[in-house]
Amino acid sequence: MNWNKDKSLLLTRICTALFAVLLLALDLGCCWAMRWFVKLRGLDGSSVRCFVATVYACSIFAWLLLWRLWMLLGNIRRGEVFTADNVSCLRAVSWCCAGAAAICLVSALYYPSFLMVAAAAGFMCLIVRVVKNVFQQAVAMKSELDLTI
Amino acid sequence: MEILVNLDVMMARRKISSGELAERIGITSANLSVLKTGKAKAIRFSTLMALCHELGCQPGDILEFRDDP
Repeated sequence: MNWNKDKSLLLTRICTALFAVLLLALDLGCCWAMRWFVKLRGLDGSSVRCFVATVYACSIFAWLLLWRLWMLLGNIRRGEVFTADNVSCLRAVSWCCAGAAAICLVSALYYPSFLMVAAAAGFMCLIVRVVKNVFQQAVAMKSELDLTI
Repeated sequence: MEILVNLDVMMARRKISSGELAERIGITSANLSVLKTGKAKAIRFSTLMALCHELGCQPGDILEFRDDP
């Protein structure tokens, strides 16, 4: 198979769309899934509402993240890689991760395992921030290169 | 403190148009315009060399350092 950057980009877009479908499924079946989870773990039935609230709150950030990721991939497909718009997309993605981490941190008060998710989201936020900083530097370098005659 | 580009002065002295100079040194008119208007952040030695060759001058005739008063 002749693999190239266009196919790689297409795969990334497909994965992003797949995550959007999974997120939609989670949003639609959230109540049912949380009831099943609470029963499976033998937790107090009243905690279902807390779980649903956590999932829906995180879902807002997840939708925002996927939307900005989709925009970023669209820009890259058009050949607009090191632009201020992409830096803004990465900044938004990073803040979405931070937002989800904060929600999970609060949710750890009623279900301590959310601490793991909060740590993972926080770490993801850190990685995306580093990538954002690299992009920011690259935008400045590109601007200088464009004005070198 | 700045570096001034006196390219337009040299071009007027040599009576050469922007389009013609750009074509001779192998850059686009848009890039030559960036250079002339002082918007450029850097100039390659190869571009400077080609400019000096075509205009028959020294780099100091094109670039001028002006200190703060």
